[in-house]
Amino acid sequence: MKSNMTHATKRRMIISYVRFHVALKSNCKHMKKVNYFLAVLLGLSIQFASAQVKKGSVLIKNATVLTVTKGTLENSDVLVQDGIIKKVGQNLSAPSGVQTIDATGKYVMPGIIDAHSHLGLDVVNEATSPIVAEVRMKDMVNPYEVGIYRALAGGVTISHAMHGSANVIGGQNATLKHRWGSTDPADIIMQDAPRTIKFALGENPTRVHGRGNGIQPRTRMGVEAVLRNGFNEAIQYKKAWSEYNAAASQKNSTALPPVHNERLQVLSDIIDGKIIIHCHSYRADEIYMLINVARDFGITKLVFQHTNEGFKVAPEIAEYTMGASVFADWWAYKMEVYYSTAYNAAILTANGAITSINSDDAELIRHLYHEAAKTQRYGGMTDDQALSMITINPAKQLGIADKVGSIEEGKQADLVIFEGHPLSSYTIPQMTFVDGVKYFDIKEDANDQRLKVSATEMVEPIMIFEGHDSRCMQDTESLFETTEALFNLNH
Amino acid sequence: MQRLNKIFFAFLLALLPMMAMAQIDGEVIKPRAGKFLLKNATVVTITKGVLTNTSVLVEDGKIKEVGANISADGAEVIDCTGKFIYPGMIDGGTKLGLVEINSVAETVDYAEIGNFTPNMQALTTVNPNSVAIPVTRVSGVTTVLAVPSGGLFPGTAALINLNGYTPDQMYAGFKAIVMSFPSSGRRGRFDRRSDDDIKKANEKALKEANELWDNAVSYAAMSANGAELEYYPEMAQLAKATTGELPLLIEVNAASDIQAAIKWVEGKDAKVIFSGVSEGWRVADEIAKAGIPVVTGPIQALPTRDSDRYDTPYANAGKMAKAGVKVAIRTDGQENVRNLPFFAAFAAAYGMGKEEAWKAVTINTAEIFGVADKYGSVEAGKVANLIVADGDPFETRTNIMHVFIDGYRMPLSNRQIRLYQEFLDRSPGLKIN
Amino acid sequence: MKKNLLHAGVFCLLVAGWLSSTLAYAQSDPSGKKRITDTYAITNATVFTAPGQAGVKATVLIKNGLIQGVGTNLTLPKEAKLIAGDSLFIYPGFIDGAGDVGITKPKDPEKPENFVSSNPPDEIAGITPWRSATDQFSLKDSKVDDLRKVGFTIVQIMPDGGMIAGKAAIVLLGSENSTNLLVDNSGLAASFRASRGMYPGTAVGVMAKFREVYDNTKLTSQRSQKYTTVAGLKRPEITPTYSAMEEVVAGKIPVLFSASSELEIRRAISLQKEKGFKLVLTGLEEYEEVLDVIKASGAGVLVKLEIPDDKAIKAQKEDAKDEVKELNARVKKAYDNALAQAGKLEAAGIPFAFTTSGVKSGDIMKAMRTMIANGLSEKAALAALTTNAAAILGINKVAGSIEKGKIANLIMSTDSIFAEDSQIKHVVVDGFVFDYETKAKKKAPKDGEGKGAVKIEGNWDYTSESPAGSGSGVLSIQKDGSNYTGSITYDDPSGSGKASSPIKNVVLDGSTLSFSFNISANEMVITVDVKGEVSEGSYEASMTVGEFGSFPFEGTLNPTLIANK
Repeated sequence: MKSNMTHATKRRMIISYVRFHVALKSNCKHMKKVNYFLAVLLGLSIQFASAQVKKGSVLIKNATVLTVTKGTLENSDVLVQDGIIKKVGQNLSAPSGVQTIDATGKYVMPGIIDAHSHLGLDVVNEATSPIVAEVRMKDMVNPYEVGIYRALAGGVTISHAMHGSANVIGGQNATLKHRWGSTDPADIIMQDAPRTIKFALGENPTRVHGRGNGIQPRTRMGVEAVLRNGFNEAIQYKKAWSEYNAAASQKNSTALPPVHNERLQVLSDIIDGKIIIHCHSYRADEIYMLINVARDFGITKLVFQHTNEGFKVAPEIAEYTMGASVFADWWAYKMEVYYSTAYNAAILTANGAITSINSDDAELIRHLYHEAAKTQRYGGMTDDQALSMITINPAKQLGIADKVGSIEEGKQADLVIFEGHPLSSYTIPQMTFVDGVKYFDIKEDANDQRLKVSATEMVEPIMIFEGHDSRCMQDTESLFETTEALFNLNH
Repeated sequence: MQRLNKIFFAFLLALLPMMAMAQIDGEVIKPRAGKFLLKNATVVTITKGVLTNTSVLVEDGKIKEVGANISADGAEVIDCTGKFIYPGMIDGGTKLGLVEINSVAETVDYAEIGNFTPNMQALTTVNPNSVAIPVTRVSGVTTVLAVPSGGLFPGTAALINLNGYTPDQMYAGFKAIVMSFPSSGRRGRFDRRSDDDIKKANEKALKEANELWDNAVSYAAMSANGAELEYYPEMAQLAKATTGELPLLIEVNAASDIQAAIKWVEGKDAKVIFSGVSEGWRVADEIAKAGIPVVTGPIQALPTRDSDRYDTPYANAGKMAKAGVKVAIRTDGQENVRNLPFFAAFAAAYGMGKEEAWKAVTINTAEIFGVADKYGSVEAGKVANLIVADGDPFETRTNIMHVFIDGYRMPLSNRQIRLYQEFLDRSPGLKIN
Repeated sequence: MKKNLLHAGVFCLLVAGWLSSTLAYAQSDPSGKKRITDTYAITNATVFTAPGQAGVKATVLIKNGLIQGVGTNLTLPKEAKLIAGDSLFIYPGFIDGAGDVGITKPKDPEKPENFVSSNPPDEIAGITPWRSATDQFSLKDSKVDDLRKVGFTIVQIMPDGGMIAGKAAIVLLGSENSTNLLVDNSGLAASFRASRGMYPGTAVGVMAKFREVYDNTKLTSQRSQKYTTVAGLKRPEITPTYSAMEEVVAGKIPVLFSASSELEIRRAISLQKEKGFKLVLTGLEEYEEVLDVIKASGAGVLVKLEIPDDKAIKAQKEDAKDEVKELNARVKKAYDNALAQAGKLEAAGIPFAFTTSGVKSGDIMKAMRTMIANGLSEKAALAALTTNAAAILGINKVAGSIEKGKIANLIMSTDSIFAEDSQIKHVVVDGFVFDYETKAKKKAPKDGEGKGAVKIEGNWDYTSESPAGSGSGVLSIQKDGSNYTGSITYDDPSGSGKASSPIKNVVLDGSTLSFSFNISANEMVITVDVKGEVSEGSYEASMTVGEFGSFPFEGTLNPTLIANK
């Protein structure tokens, strides 16, 4: 029957399909259903796992708009349609059906992006091997974690849900969009973000593997060796497969496929520039080492995380990498960060390195605007420089700067409205939007935000906050024999 | 403000080569005593309002005079036109000086072995040369309470100024015996005890506390009657809390524990201060009614329960203050006590108000610790713990220009700043030798 | 002890089965246990032949392990033993979609000398697809009769183990002297269970490893295929893992994935979508949010036959503060939702059955009645226990309903099966009739009285769960005058193998048994206190380990000691 179909018939069908589709766009609610119908009709397969996420329209009026990349616009409006920033300017009017929010006297900035977080993950560390590149944090995303809402209440719209730092090469991370309320992990994963992977240098991997388990690496020399061995094996692996694929395409080929090794495949993808490395690091020497390794293997997509001694090798970081994502002021919690300075971000910035401020912490993520503001005390950063460190700079490091990270027409409408300048210590976030949908509004903030409670819960557990709540080393407990080590996991 | 900031740094950087020329390579600037006239500032006294065009005279470690026309005779004059003078901030609870690097056991000195160790003296172990001390004081925090932790009665806390080469030089005249009230809260994700286990452990701990307390009361009474008792340093120390000779600083956080602690305190002759008090907002009226002052913090903390509003830790201090509780703020910090002003700002923004938040890091703390005659405000006769800033010290964009502790003009440098100076424009740069 | 039992079980299945099927050995039976006939007629009973069918008065004739007929005008053969069914209700025997009854976890292999935790042998890492549940099963386990007593006649037994535990099998809970194996290799048991302290150590590692095993099984079959057809090729490396996985990759048998929570269900389904294997989800406890996802996946569904503990609901107080009341209301709602879930599964049009893994047999009928009271229809409930289970297990041609030619698996109860006071009087499995005592209307027992003294002497096999993983061992209790003494074995914390400690402070108070023992590890001595309830050879307790918390501890009195009855 297919072959009998005339050219014209085919064309008509395609055209009517397209028209139908365009007509449907205005009626989003029914789209999924009808789409399904069409898909069945046309024999297309549509993946519903990545069904559309909610997108909103809104007009924010009369705000001080901190675009970050295009300066500060007083008394200006931001028009959002279908999740996209349509227009930024003055005296904009809302199309019919689009809600207007009067933001007179308030500030609007791009949604805050945290380049280092472990929120929304059921498992953080697959700590059992020095390289676990094959594991995917996307498998472990848990949209029920109330910390996601708390981050939204602090203006954070995107977080980089990372594998932990127990391995030299850890798992692949997930970039999350904080679409609170969805119970489908796929809905809170930023599907259009590129792949990233966690690396870790120094004390964490040498403690877990060398000192904890008696396998390499136990030293920073070993860390380098693990990296180089891994990449070299990946090159051999790739070669074996391309040889097989070439041979298999020949007639009467007798070639046998090599063993599949997802771990080496991922490393090979890193060498091919398909994955951005985000590397836990503290000391200048280890940072310098990885820069050298990366250069030897032609890897340029490399971001350093924590990077407390990044300031010592700032020229190298600026020249050869995608920069560093640092704490505003954390130091001295372990030996590796004793020789730190809160001026780290300022020095890196002055040297031209892309610099972001991150949280790595369920508490700190709630006030990243304040953490960024600390760069003004420690190094005199300008407002735009400080704001860049939690918006466009982390967006660049996550490979999503073309989509988010600033208030520009055409970008995704992730926005935060503040009462008071966001870099003031007294500022209070008022509303947070992701894709133009409001997920946090201080005026409508309900008391109990848990999406789920246990049917057998007697009394809700009370957690007494005892400082840092980092999960860099979560799930590594079973690797330590002594109970002392169990309760003393430093990140 | 931003411009000021830039100018200040340009100035600072321009000054560096000059200083290098004037000094021998590597020489450091030391704290300096003397007579200083801080001229023509806006003085935020905390207790006596805000005084414009006012000067402050510092002499012999004291605030000699606060007024409009003070003679500069013999004094080093520091022009403070356009600047603000505040009292040095006091952090009501820290581990500053008791630990250098938390993961390096050799440097951790705040927790001794044993459940009953009130005789352990924080002042003994304060390290005057901790790298964190100069890092802290450039933020305007001049005084902190160093608090031991661990068992039921872990030790005796001490108030210290962040200047001095021996603990005694640093000591600021207040000590308190610390008690960790049996806690029904969990210590973190690793704490997987059942509710029943926690309850049982609590009952056991409270029973033990009661026995120890009763013994200490008897010990104090017998000693007062001239009895010659066997050497028992732990009991001798706790006895001081039972008579009110030393205040009792009770660490308590969960609402039900706070209620239990209020009940426990009733009828005892102790001078009680609560610390922590994370869930104080739930029972603020009861704390106010009991008349117990509170040192609360960290303000930047996670809510204690998943069902709690996200801002409860920010709002806690303000809610207690509104209910009539005398509130001081602490960081409970070690290396980052420098964040005290920012914690205060969060408390201010989320309901406490700036004025009350300032009190909570100055005069309230001094009053709760019984040292308000010396600390906590800019008043003639008090110890010269002062800060000069180009704006509101709670704001990150503000620069702290001068810090005086005990009348010493403190160098505004520390290792973090020196690293900045060395590495901002590293030489050699990118080239490979 | 247990090991012997295990072998005995296998013997029953394999050897005894062979004996009975080769009657050439025709021997007499001096034990007197041989039955005189295999033909039974239950007369004039109320028969429910299948879910949704009204009960009709009829006679059921069984012979040779099969249902010969159901009706009112059957000709009853002379050798038929008559059972008066006038007051009885007859239902098809229940089928357990995935059970752990009679299963004993095999001993973990010793770690080799050159063990590397980052790359452990499959067998140690919990990847044992070649293992069979039949090797771990014993029909003589007292729990088998407990489950049969509730009406279960067929169980798909699941092997105990790690992330890929092994092959399930479908067995009849029939006579000890019969072959009871219905289907061998009926599915592959998989879970997100990680190995302790080795790769894969967490669920995220398990998912990665599952993909790896799956993909390489595929490649290995490709290589093997080529190898047999073309000469001169490198010999493909065939491992027990890949060989045993081949049926799964070829789509011959399903993966029985244990997934209790919504997120686990989504994860299992995402693996299925990615790799395309046949999927049966088992052990579902929380699934309300993902009904559409389950439906779209087409996976088989085995719900855990259990309702949540109501302790928390009962502990809620009327006079609580408003703030607490709001939180309590949410817990209550979550509880009510949990009870109503099965009904929603039915409403969504998803056929499902049950699993009894981890379920106490004694609680099953209460759970059923609660689900029915909360929205599940009796028809769907019965279907889940019979026809749906048979369909999911692929045995609907031979089991699931009362029809001529199907296996003679029947339940005879004193009232309609889900009625509050209904009791099961007989269960027929494979034509063998098991009789159970029924009591006249139960009276409320007086406090603690009425029961005989609880017996605790003997060897208890126990399992324990803690954040460090699951543990197991043998608790041995002896009576010493009026006191008890004994010892306990456990996984040696400072290495591999088992360590043993004497138990102290053994106290039996009514049915509450408590004792304690010391474990020394790394120069530390930790005291472990265990306390819980003993009931008919099972011990449900809580184990408090020093300051680290309390964890579940479950024991079973070794059945060899009570097998004399």
